Amino acid sequence: MVCKRTVLTEHSVHAGAHMKISLLSLLITALLFTTTGCSQDSVTTTAAGPPLPEDTGGSAKGDFGPPVGEPINAVLTSPPMVPPPTGRSQPAKVIVNLEVREVEKEISEGVKYTFWTFGGTVPGSFIRIRQGDTVEFHLNNHPDSKMPHNIDLHAVTGPGGGAASSFTAPGHSSQFTFRALNAGLYVYHCATAPVGMHVANGMYGLILVEPPQGLPKVDREYYVMQGDFYTVGRYREKGVQPFDMQKAIDENATYVLFNGSESALLGDNALKAKVGETVRLFVGNGGPNLVSSFHVIGEIFDRVYTEGGSRYQENVQTTLVPAGGSSIVEFHAEVPGTGVIVDHSIFRAFNKGALGMIKYEGPDNLAVYSGKEVDSIYLGDKAASAAPVAAAAAATASGTLTLEQQVKAGEALFAGTCSTCHQGDGLGIPNVFPPLAKSDYLNADHKRAIEVVLNGLTGPVTVNGTAFESVMPPMSQLNDDEVANILTYALNSWGNEGGRISAEDVAKVRSSTPRPQGAAH
Amino acid sequence: MKIFICAALLLFSGVALAARPLPDDSIYQLQDSFFNQDGEAFQLASRRGKPQLVAMFYTSCKYICPLIIDSGRGVDHALSPAERSGLQVLLVSLDPARDDVAALDYIASKRKLDRSRWTLARTEKSGVRKTAALLGVRYRELADGEFNHSSALILLDADGRVLARTEKIGAVPDQEFLAKVKAALAQP
Amino acid sequence: MRTSVLAFVLLNAAGLADGVSANDNYVLVPGGEFKSALKYEDTQGKVAVASFELMRTPVTNAQFLDFVRKNPPWQRGKVVPVFAEARYLAHWSTPLQLATHATQQQPVVNVSWFAASAYCEAGGARLPTWGEWEYSAAADGTRRDARSDPAWREQILGWYAKPSNAPLSPVGQSPANVYGVQDLHGLVWEWTEDYASMLVSADNRAQGEQDRLKFCGAGAIAMDDRENYAVLMRVAMLSAMEAANITSNLGFRCAKSLP
Repeated sequence: MVCKRTVLTEHSVHAGAHMKISLLSLLITALLFTTTGCSQDSVTTTAAGPPLPEDTGGSAKGDFGPPVGEPINAVLTSPPMVPPPTGRSQPAKVIVNLEVREVEKEISEGVKYTFWTFGGTVPGSFIRIRQGDTVEFHLNNHPDSKMPHNIDLHAVTGPGGGAASSFTAPGHSSQFTFRALNAGLYVYHCATAPVGMHVANGMYGLILVEPPQGLPKVDREYYVMQGDFYTVGRYREKGVQPFDMQKAIDENATYVLFNGSESALLGDNALKAKVGETVRLFVGNGGPNLVSSFHVIGEIFDRVYTEGGSRYQENVQTTLVPAGGSSIVEFHAEVPGTGVIVDHSIFRAFNKGALGMIKYEGPDNLAVYSGKEVDSIYLGDKAASAAPVAAAAAATASGTLTLEQQVKAGEALFAGTCSTCHQGDGLGIPNVFPPLAKSDYLNADHKRAIEVVLNGLTGPVTVNGTAFESVMPPMSQLNDDEVANILTYALNSWGNEGGRISAEDVAKVRSSTPRPQGAAH
Repeated sequence: MKIFICAALLLFSGVALAARPLPDDSIYQLQDSFFNQDGEAFQLASRRGKPQLVAMFYTSCKYICPLIIDSGRGVDHALSPAERSGLQVLLVSLDPARDDVAALDYIASKRKLDRSRWTLARTEKSGVRKTAALLGVRYRELADGEFNHSSALILLDADGRVLARTEKIGAVPDQEFLAKVKAALAQP
Repeated sequence: MRTSVLAFVLLNAAGLADGVSANDNYVLVPGGEFKSALKYEDTQGKVAVASFELMRTPVTNAQFLDFVRKNPPWQRGKVVPVFAEARYLAHWSTPLQLATHATQQQPVVNVSWFAASAYCEAGGARLPTWGEWEYSAAADGTRRDARSDPAWREQILGWYAKPSNAPLSPVGQSPANVYGVQDLHGLVWEWTEDYASMLVSADNRAQGEQDRLKFCGAGAIAMDDRENYAVLMRVAMLSAMEAANITSNLGFRCAKSLP
């Protein structure tokens, strides 16, 4: 039954405004509503707002028939790049060749992890097809793999999403064919037992099934996928870190990252756009466990295709991306600067690595924003220039760390964390925060200095003859290298007496002194 | 005259077949010894010359195995008499410990199988594993002597190469599989 | 008496001089009742493993070379493709010569189930069953069943995490377990006689809901102890294999039933 235009009815039931509505008219309204059996089949209007478009019809209407023309070899890209729009108007046969490789890579400075990957990257290669395409999927497991692997594509309607047909031993290949009946942005992942472990090791990616008319044109498209990682060692503990099954079961993530490493979207790897451009992010969340509160600091999403589906919401600050799910966000760059991509479940951003950047270049637009660049105070050690810290980490790994490297790395880290209070010149703030420059307190006792950094300091303290009574919170979230480098920098700056603190010195103090309540390790 | 030429051709092709080496991908490469329901020993290679339907079963099987025989029958009934005469059926027992020649003979009689074309066979345990491996049949012996096993009907060509397989078991044959059987029988 | 002793010594010395262990080094594994990680519907997961003999270490390149010399149909290039796929023994430099990276004492890999079975049968033995293998592998240096120890699990998971691109260690380097068997973990995957019996679906998320017509009878096996990922991985690996397949990290050892 077709819905009548029920504008009148809706006004009638505004109980608050029209107190004179009689019970009878209410009853009649209710009767009309139920008997007309309002269906969703046609365009409905509400009291205010644009007409809602028809449903896409889902998989039942998604089969556009047999492929037309020559088979196409799919163009796969590594993150953060996205293949160009298919530009097709008819269903095609698309051949996808995806290779599984187990690779050891850096997950964080000086921290190595064995990832299991699709296409050699975490997340895996981006696949782009059009609704109605027939995909001939080849899964190739590299001979050097230790494990068998398979693939479950959420875009597939069929047993296991392809997993049942693609179980592949090392050095072998599997093939299966499916037709993409639903448009949308879909996660794919390995589904070999134990599934959680394969996913936790990075075996996920995105496949975009374009709607028949394609997505509206934008200037830039990027591929960002969040994942949680579980290592035996602590966050940023150096060396080769194995996977920790118990932490994964407990959902106690060590790292929460975009695109598989802390630096994947930072520094030179930051995403780029020009002022005035429209940007679209294909956002995925491989999990295995955590749901993302996806947000770009300094940006508002003009459009969010919620959960990677067909309809969009407008004007969204933060959107949820389920584990094993996706979202498409679009925004327009108005001012130059840096947008910071975060999981707004905020400890993940600042303490576990769920942080990336998108840099906008172009002329200022002071009418829109007149303030300064994103501040290091906000980002803490995340804003630290990566290069000297990386150099120090590499040198530590090879046992060749020099004083100079420590000082340079410490300088970068100090700027992010300590300068907030002690100021960039080490002079502190009179009567509030003690100076570190020419500080008798600092120079007199290095071990005490380490204790203060790790455990904090409250209560009266005299520095250079002046009394201070403030609160320094424990900086126990910094690891041993970071504390050692920061203190070494301080001791060798601003007229201090010099000296050198090693990570071992810090470790000794960490293990022999108690941390105050609520501090990190 | 025509008959004479046809016969000569048949003879010639039969001889030629025997003279040609067994193809690399033929499952008849398995050299283990089998026994049929009449107690005669044979090797798989002796079955060259005609397309074959093969399956694995065991005589005390309560669930699927009767259906496997029905499946073979179903294919038979869907063929013309001429086609039927060109097809052989081989069922290999998963349970050599209990399926001796007498048990096989009993089933062949009970189900009124055409012994000129149907063979029920047994081999030693290691041969059973290898046959299953070549046919892609998976099985496990249970504590009570029953077997869990995957059920498939496999079509081999005249040289023992796998042409098709179906896991749709029952008296009504899988149409796609049946089409392949007919195609194989149409080959000279 | 003396001559027979002398003969015995000479025979053994000859065996050792070959560079190949003539007796293939079996140890006795005493049987027992065992709770398998595979949930067998017919036995509630409890398996009775009869006493049997198991090779102390996996079969080596040297031992397999000796076998193919005496059994030409199993040489690379002569083996029928239906019994071993194209990359059979690809790591040897020639069909009858090893290589610098395929040393005598490394476990032989790139062998199919048919080839492994043939080797064992030639020695009057067979491949171990999965039950025998799992039972032997549950032990560590001091306990017959170490599986509830997280450390045992972690050590095995650590091996799984390393890709297979490093050279294989020689056999016999790892500490023996309580039965005297070595290298059940951390070296290579190993064939079992009934690897194809596991009847697990390629998509392991569908546990317990197997297509009942696909696997005749009571339905297929489900994994019981989901936390024992160490075992799960091994089952997954074997389930992915076909009998003629090879991989560069899959080898085998033989077993013998007791008379």
